[in-house]
Amino acid sequence: MVTQLVKCPRCQTHVTIQGNSGESVLITCPSCSLKGKFTLPSTKKMVTGTTMIEISHLSKIYKEVIAVNNVSFTVRSGEIFGFLGPNGAGKTTTIKALLGLIHVNTGEITIHGYRMNGESRSARKHIGYLPERVAFYDNLTALQTIHFFCELKGVDRSVAQPLLKEVGLESAMNRKVGTFSKGMVQLLGVAQALIGNPSVYILDEPTSGLDARWAKIIRDKIRMVNERGATVLFSSHNLFEVEQLCDRVAVINKGKLIAEDTVANLSSHLKMKPQLEITIQGLGGKVPLVLSGMQGIDALEAKGDTLFVTCESSVRSKIIAKLEEAGLTILNLKTIEPSLEDTFIKLIGGGA
Amino acid sequence: MVDVHVRPIVTIAKKEFLDNIRNRWIILLTVLLFLLVIVFSYLAGGQSGGDSALGDMQSTVFGLLSISTILIPLIAILLGFSTISGEAESGALHVVLTCPVTRFEVLLGKLLGLGSVIVAAVLIGFGLGGILITATVGSESWLSYLAFIGLTILLGVTVLSLSICISAYCKRRITSIGGGLVILFWGMIIGTVFFAVVLGTGYTLDDLMTGNIPDWFWIEPLFSVPDLTQMTVMKAFGMNDISMMGFSVNLPDYMSTPLLLFAHLLWLFIPILLAYLLFKRRDI
Repeated sequence: MVTQLVKCPRCQTHVTIQGNSGESVLITCPSCSLKGKFTLPSTKKMVTGTTMIEISHLSKIYKEVIAVNNVSFTVRSGEIFGFLGPNGAGKTTTIKALLGLIHVNTGEITIHGYRMNGESRSARKHIGYLPERVAFYDNLTALQTIHFFCELKGVDRSVAQPLLKEVGLESAMNRKVGTFSKGMVQLLGVAQALIGNPSVYILDEPTSGLDARWAKIIRDKIRMVNERGATVLFSSHNLFEVEQLCDRVAVINKGKLIAEDTVANLSSHLKMKPQLEITIQGLGGKVPLVLSGMQGIDALEAKGDTLFVTCESSVRSKIIAKLEEAGLTILNLKTIEPSLEDTFIKLIGGGA
Repeated sequence: MVDVHVRPIVTIAKKEFLDNIRNRWIILLTVLLFLLVIVFSYLAGGQSGGDSALGDMQSTVFGLLSISTILIPLIAILLGFSTISGEAESGALHVVLTCPVTRFEVLLGKLLGLGSVIVAAVLIGFGLGGILITATVGSESWLSYLAFIGLTILLGVTVLSLSICISAYCKRRITSIGGGLVILFWGMIIGTVFFAVVLGTGYTLDDLMTGNIPDWFWIEPLFSVPDLTQMTVMKAFGMNDISMMGFSVNLPDYMSTPLLLFAHLLWLFIPILLAYLLFKRRDI
């Protein structure tokens, strides 16, 4: 449960909100009855300064195609780090290079302090990996599969049953993997990644192609391992998911890293402004004249009784005051911060 | 210093054995091996006109030899042709290779595990058949029969090493199938090539039909693992001449059992070494 004190943009009264981490709560100001939606901040683990994953000047060339071009970034201990990019941007190539699955042309990769070139066995002891399309062996049961990976990772086989229980596959543990649905195979992949409580998780679009139910289970597991202290590098096409989960993101496009920061900082660096969504009684699709030419407003649009205003945060209370001075009745007020999707599209130049 | 751990090799071998021993094609071919021993023994028994319905081991083995040198490579190819290319394509290999295990250990584990499936299939198929013959006819030539089983296993593991090499080279499962077929029919191809070379060096068809064949022709089995196995088995039963096209030809002295076994070992180790070099360089 998270408690947050917020200030009403109209009358400046302080209102206390309670709810779950990351939850959107509908609130009404007790003084002026202004209604609005507020998203509670997500509670995340402390991120320390220790570097868990370090990629330095990584390049990979396939024949004449430069798949990854001089990419460098670091992921710190305890972080959930989002790795974003359009299709064919070089995300999977980078992740495969990180895991030592492909040979790189240049670059150094370090995981948990071990160089992948030369100390890969030691590095891999700390890695839990879940690919987009995980596959196992059709003739082995779920339990035999987890036993196999326990033995490969040098972990006692007794952890297999609790792990299968943890991902909800306990009742199917003696079924052959060949009979599993895609979601069940992906959950088996989660159980496999959790073996030995690794300190680094590398997840390549782990929820891609899964229905909402399976995707939520996997997102919950990502949060869970992060809360236990693990570092997560996570690539996804689902920007909403990345926004919900990640502390920082890196954006790759056409093989080059074009940004690396928190979502908020990226938006701020790109000078992206929040949008106010104001419901006004009897607006009728007309932009109020009182706001025309007002400084700090970038865009104004009216649809029905809702007015959309893209503006600096500092002018929000002035806008409310002007509307009220003009005798307009504000029924509802919502602030929409620039989404990761907006930031991402701006970064990659409107789509790739 | 070479960093090789035994545990991952054993783990992968065990997994390969468990995953493949339940393959219905392997089960079917194992049953077929047993039935073939009985059928060929029964045919040999009928020819000898003895008291027993089953024939002796030597006659059974000679009857079996040509078909077993097709079936065993078939099992080996089925097991090995997609063990790397197929798993790389499906994604199963990705997860394995992110565990603390080297590519050499994965390859060795696969060879041992899949090789164990061949050992099990041959021991069950031919072993049970041999026991039945021993119980019915007697244990004469049992040592040679054991040599036949051993050489059949060697044939299987050698073809397995070749098919793993093909699998390490091919990017996709479908192209590995083509490679597997080349291995299967290589014996026929190379035999025909040798006959063509003989004809091209001044020999006539009449020479071939009457057994007038140059000594160097008999190096042909060194280029074909099934032929190599056939010749080594015949040597194991004390036979030094080969019957073909209705006549019998004495094998040249240089085709000794040690040379044949040495050639076998080269066929076993060179492809697996090559497979390792290909697999090591491969992007997964």
